[in-house]
Amino acid sequence: MGNAFNTITFDKGRCDGCGDCMTVCAKLPGSAGRSRLSVIVAPDRSDFELAICRQCGQPKCVMNCPAGALAKGEQDGIVRWEGAKCVGCLLCTVGCRYGGIVPHAEARQMSKCDQCEGDPACVTVCKSGALSFNRAGALYNRVGNLEDLFAPGLSACQGCNSELLIRHTLRHVGPETVVATPPGCIAGMGAVGYNGQTGTKVPVFHPLLTNTASMLTGIRRTYKRRGRDVTALALAGDGGVVDVGFQSLSGAAERGEELLFICVDNEGYMNTGMQRSGSTSYGSWTSTTPVGKRMHGKSRDSKDMPLMMMMHRCEYVATASLGFMDDYYAKLDKAIAAAKRGMAYIHVYAPCPTGWRFPSSATIETCRKSVETNFVTLWEYTPDAGLRFTRPVDNPIPVEEYLRLFGKYRHLSPEQVTHIRQTTVDKVKHLKMHARAAEEARQANDVPLKGE
Amino acid sequence: MITAKTIVCDGNEAAAWGAVLSRPDMVAVYPITPQSSLAEYLSQFIADGILDAELLDVEGEHSVLSVLHGAALAGARTYTATCGQGLAFMFEPYFRTPPLRLPIVTSLVTRDGITPQCVWGGQQDAMTVKDVGWVHMYCETVQEVLDTLIMAYRIAEHRQVMLPVNVNHDGNYLSYGVCRMELPGQAEVDAFLGPKDINWHVALDPDRPMAVDPLTGGAGGPGPALFVSYRKGLCDGMQHALRVIEEVHDEWALRFGRRWAPLVEEYKLDDADFAIVTIGSMTGAAKDAVDQARARGERVGLIKVKTFRPFPIEAMVRAVSKVEALGVVDRAVSFGWNSGPLHQEVLGALYYGRRPIPAISFIGGLAGADLTVGHFRRVIEQTAAARWTGPGQAPIWLNEND
Repeated sequence: MGNAFNTITFDKGRCDGCGDCMTVCAKLPGSAGRSRLSVIVAPDRSDFELAICRQCGQPKCVMNCPAGALAKGEQDGIVRWEGAKCVGCLLCTVGCRYGGIVPHAEARQMSKCDQCEGDPACVTVCKSGALSFNRAGALYNRVGNLEDLFAPGLSACQGCNSELLIRHTLRHVGPETVVATPPGCIAGMGAVGYNGQTGTKVPVFHPLLTNTASMLTGIRRTYKRRGRDVTALALAGDGGVVDVGFQSLSGAAERGEELLFICVDNEGYMNTGMQRSGSTSYGSWTSTTPVGKRMHGKSRDSKDMPLMMMMHRCEYVATASLGFMDDYYAKLDKAIAAAKRGMAYIHVYAPCPTGWRFPSSATIETCRKSVETNFVTLWEYTPDAGLRFTRPVDNPIPVEEYLRLFGKYRHLSPEQVTHIRQTTVDKVKHLKMHARAAEEARQANDVPLKGE
Repeated sequence: MITAKTIVCDGNEAAAWGAVLSRPDMVAVYPITPQSSLAEYLSQFIADGILDAELLDVEGEHSVLSVLHGAALAGARTYTATCGQGLAFMFEPYFRTPPLRLPIVTSLVTRDGITPQCVWGGQQDAMTVKDVGWVHMYCETVQEVLDTLIMAYRIAEHRQVMLPVNVNHDGNYLSYGVCRMELPGQAEVDAFLGPKDINWHVALDPDRPMAVDPLTGGAGGPGPALFVSYRKGLCDGMQHALRVIEEVHDEWALRFGRRWAPLVEEYKLDDADFAIVTIGSMTGAAKDAVDQARARGERVGLIKVKTFRPFPIEAMVRAVSKVEALGVVDRAVSFGWNSGPLHQEVLGALYYGRRPIPAISFIGGLAGADLTVGHFRRVIEQTAAARWTGPGQAPIWLNEND
């Protein structure tokens, strides 16, 4: 499989034109005092564009160069300029339509971005979040060749990110695995197959909706007793986790069973026709929290399952969203390792196009919005380090921008929206309390005790 | 290594020793009266290293059986015990165990149901779950509890059976009743049980990947047909079990010198005019009452049912063919027929054997009540009379006026 590359991305909606990116770039040794990227500001400051090298897949600059002074790196995809070969013809600048390569006469060099060799300073300095470093390319290089252990043709709804999630997860966890998919969307899309066929290339089974953690416990313990390290993986919907499956999961967490338990939270019983679960968010229309004269969607807030798992002091707990795949993979790595010592729990927020009423093309965008509004927060927890935000959003966009994406919130009254806005703020505040406590504990531990 | 010896113990300890000698890989426990001391014995045996098994001290009976499902699918021999409300809570995985064909052995320390709140003996719990495909064997004595428990693994793991087995002993009477018991040696039990053979047919093993429990069904096509093959296979397994239970009891008698009636015991039946039908520990008092009646010149016999599921229809037809009237004593109630569940089975056997003789339903021993020789004297008198009067419409409640 060919190489894929990381990219610097620009969200002009977030840019405030502060110019810090250019300042920091200009100070880099290779910049010779001139920034290698430019934020171009409209006269009324209403619009921004970024001029920067895109590290094109088939770079025109490289093709135009008659001297072989430009070349695209095979491993990292970065287009590099070699001064010793350059004849100064500027044909490269003619080829580039992004303003990505420009002459710097005083320094007698062509100026272009090299992504700071994997850690771009402009991204680090950008406070507004307009610049980000997309590492999906590195991810692809890492996992692209791994075998997809689900069969082709699972019958998930169009736009379902559960299928994306389980395919990524299983190929990463690998074949020495037994997979439990309790009744729900993942089993319903054919993971356990129909009429004797299977949708999975590793051992897979339907536990009961209620006993996923217990059945996996029996499997993991039996193999461990025989000296075999078999991963016990749950791919469970929220109903089988926060509602009727809660007891067995809580028991397994208390006993420290070595499970890799992934909850795919689409906020309800979507496979059976979109009924509410304990994980359904406040105000949501579902088929059992309908909207009518007397009812206006769900009247209670959702259970905060990942926090409850944190209170069990599991070996590892994390939240995730598929809008941030690199974040998910980093957590999956830790969870796989933790599941050899105890319970590893990942709670994946999974927007459901069918049940939440949004276009199937918008799934990833809704994932991103959920995090950018703080409706969903991405964090991780270990007993030693406590809770840590992995993608803190200090200046969230208004939660209304998230709510308006979905038909299930269409009926919300201003009072209901106010409630959601407030609980979103409260939830983050509560998490920050935990994060702060963890941070303080870390700092306290750094202070040597008297007599040491 | 456990060597053969004589010990004094109660039925719960006997069951625990039976489990120890069967060398399960995993034991799951959750306490409930009157099973609790059984769970405690097992935990201590594992703590002391007498039994080398995983001890799953989980958060409820639902998980007890669920962890054993997982373990059995990974190839483990497994054991647990429960009763009453615990069995009710366990029911969801319980009624999935037979169609998964998992040879799990579980003691039911039978207990009456609620409401009113009751923690005493009675067979209502086991009788309520009789029709989901588990083999049910009821024991009469403490020794039979131990012997049957070990035999249960041979039956469950027989390739033509592959079904879960309940070994039932009456709460209070057998669970706490202490008496002399012969403990067999480990080497002899190992030789009797042979190698473990748990998941050759269905497994969750990365070395043999398969999907366990794919969705099956629909209005037509391959789904319902596949489902029928599962159901028929389960029925076949149950019918094979009747033969295997007999074979295993025969072999036990040869190896250990104790012969238990595997399906139906006939006691002083050959020359009897009528008989009483019993199940479980009540049989001891019933046999005494039969002996006393015989001494008075009454030609009465006794039929004891050990194997209740699968129901040993041929053995029962043979037994009932010898008499003119029956008094069937149940320690549980069937709310469908206004009689006891064993009574209905006997009625079915009488029809199957084309033998429309009177059969009275007696219900007694509920909620821990004693079933004494005196009670069985009444059973014998009323059954004797029924030869001429026929059975009444309603059951006779033996402890109603105690």
